[in-house]
Amino acid sequence: MKKTFKGGVHLLEENFLVSSKTIVDMPLCPIYVLPVHQHVGTPCKPIVRQGDVVKKGQQIAEPAGYVSVAIHAPTSGKIKEIGPKIHPLTGRKSLSVVIESDGKDEWVDGLPLNRDPFSIGREKLVTMIQSSGIVGLGGATFPTHVKLSPSKEKKIDTLIINGVECDSHVADDHRLMVEHPEAVISGAKVIMSILGLNRSIIAIGKNKPDAIAIIREKVPPEIQLEPLEVKYPQGAERQLIKTLTGRDTPSGGLPMDIGCLVHNAGTCAAIWNAAAYGIPLIERITSVTGHGIVEPKNIRVKIGTLLKDVIEFCGGIKNPAKILFGGPMMGIAQYSLDVPVIKGTSGIVVLTQDEVSKSSYTACIACGRCVDFCPMQLNPSMLSRLGEKSMWEKALNFNLLDCIECGVCSYICPSNRPIKHFIRHLKTLEREAKSLYGK
Amino acid sequence: MTLLAAALLGGIGLVCALVLGVAAMTFAVEMDPREKLVLDLLPGANCGACGYAGCAAFAHALLENPETEMVCPAIHENDVKKISEILERKLASLGGMIASVCCKGTVKDVADNYIYEGPLECRAAQLIAGGSKACAYGCLGLGTCEQVCPFDAIHIGEDHLPYVDKEKCTGCGKCVIACPRHIIRLAPFDLPKCEVRCISKDSPKEVKKICSTGCIGCMACEQVCPFNAVTVMKNSAARITHTKCTGCGLCVKVCPVDVIESVIELKKASILKDKCNGCSICSQVCPVDAPKGELKNPYTIDEAKCMGCGICIDKCPKKAIEKRL
Repeated sequence: MKKTFKGGVHLLEENFLVSSKTIVDMPLCPIYVLPVHQHVGTPCKPIVRQGDVVKKGQQIAEPAGYVSVAIHAPTSGKIKEIGPKIHPLTGRKSLSVVIESDGKDEWVDGLPLNRDPFSIGREKLVTMIQSSGIVGLGGATFPTHVKLSPSKEKKIDTLIINGVECDSHVADDHRLMVEHPEAVISGAKVIMSILGLNRSIIAIGKNKPDAIAIIREKVPPEIQLEPLEVKYPQGAERQLIKTLTGRDTPSGGLPMDIGCLVHNAGTCAAIWNAAAYGIPLIERITSVTGHGIVEPKNIRVKIGTLLKDVIEFCGGIKNPAKILFGGPMMGIAQYSLDVPVIKGTSGIVVLTQDEVSKSSYTACIACGRCVDFCPMQLNPSMLSRLGEKSMWEKALNFNLLDCIECGVCSYICPSNRPIKHFIRHLKTLEREAKSLYGK
Repeated sequence: MTLLAAALLGGIGLVCALVLGVAAMTFAVEMDPREKLVLDLLPGANCGACGYAGCAAFAHALLENPETEMVCPAIHENDVKKISEILERKLASLGGMIASVCCKGTVKDVADNYIYEGPLECRAAQLIAGGSKACAYGCLGLGTCEQVCPFDAIHIGEDHLPYVDKEKCTGCGKCVIACPRHIIRLAPFDLPKCEVRCISKDSPKEVKKICSTGCIGCMACEQVCPFNAVTVMKNSAARITHTKCTGCGLCVKVCPVDVIESVIELKKASILKDKCNGCSICSQVCPVDAPKGELKNPYTIDEAKCMGCGICIDKCPKKAIEKRL
């Protein structure tokens, strides 16, 4: 029997646009914009002032709470401004630090260093991960140090390294595993040492045979390699755990509750860079792709680089309809080219006019396709109809809060209904009602 | 044959009517006749804002428990008086409120960030990059307020802005909660005389860029107001203190972006010739130079200039000025 989960879809594979392109370094840009809220949790607090001179890797904002991570200067230069700038996720202005590059790209004193991460000690490693600003790089941007400090009663027995990358178009983890397999594997070893585990699983989608071959060659015996079916959302945390271990994450619970921990391959590499070389998270690998971009590329881009600079570096755009941060299934459409690349930007996808659907949606015909394909076994059809009427209380009976917002239902709906949008609408109503009336 | 059928059916009908009639008399539930009267006076929307299961339950509670207070926010003041008469005890009204919309930015006035194609629901539209309108504070115009209103009192006009029907609005506040942009406010029914139709907190420069009718904080209204009723704070639209505002409309006239509106029509002043002694105080206090005349002779009011602010009425030592009916 094939190892997989129930539901899900086979997407049109567009990864070939960038999957064989070597990662290139993005040249220095004049301006970098760093929103203080780049992760799930409390926004961090700027510790620099306008006019300050900063060096590459210098901390410019400190965590303001436990679920919060630091932010560092991606290059050397001067703080030009600390003020509201457009945030790529909310579309509204939020506090950001603007750095004007001096063109020298000088490291802060002492960086990069060279040390043995396994001699640092567990607790120190976890604090170091927080102060290095490391978050889940798959796109969810959940602070990694929180995941690495499970409460005592929750015993973690399985670490899963997620290299599935199931969304179409993007291939940043794919290239990372092909070009820097040792960083991913070493990062995984660091996580294992923190958690005291002696085995882990690395899962890779079968549409990346070159990555599978390279990892298989390098992987040590304590890490098990699992090539997985090409299906969306195979890379989603809950679906991945179900496929590899057969365990179900409880409704409203976390993978931690069933002894599992999932980390993205990119996060592992970032942990290795921070642990071995002391380099904070100031750059990431991003796939700039889609038929609307002139030269699709995989780039190593500094956090804070503006979208317009990235697009210029990739030869510009042709016949664009939508520019997404993230893949086409989960990505967030941008209306301005002045938004910065942030920690969670795994891909920049430009869709052309012919690729986007523009017809409006019609009534639900109750065909049940969304029910068949929903990887969480929900009833999206019912939820969408309740969403139309804003009936969030009733939607709670249909397990509204279990939706992982993968977008499979909207993708296969023959009536073109924006089901995921309706579900997000209901979830927002529920959250607002909760904050208004307590409970 | 037809006759037989008609007689048969009619007969059955008669027998059934008789049975029902007898049943209605024998099993009749004794109800306070006042309950029906009270229920008729309540708004009848069953909105639940009073905390009872609906208007009928609230009417029952009012009669059963003499300590029940008038907690219906939607009822009109006159109806509270009528209910007080029926119940023969004094009920205090919560004070009639009315919704007012604080945005004037039509589709033509405000720039768009992108074209929205999703469900016609402001709260859903707000989820996509904070709404398609470039102004983060302005009305999205998709009609969520219209959908949630139980009284059919708020409607989206042709310019995609909501308009409140003053006759029907009861101030229940459902639209206030539903609006994701928080541009609808509740105000006492007869208090606001002028309203600033903007709540933007953007800098004036930003407002100017994205909206042709947004408040730019020029402070012209604050300076011209004779009653200190308008305040303009930094990076915030002008606000009117309704208790101080007399509705003179001076600010409406000076506003360069037309964002302040007169809500009520004021009655103009007129001078009683037999009482006026020509002291000229009215012409000194008038902000628009409406009173005309010569000292020691009765003055007259230039109707074209008078805005009905009422300053002269208060200042006249002879009580010679009154509002024209």
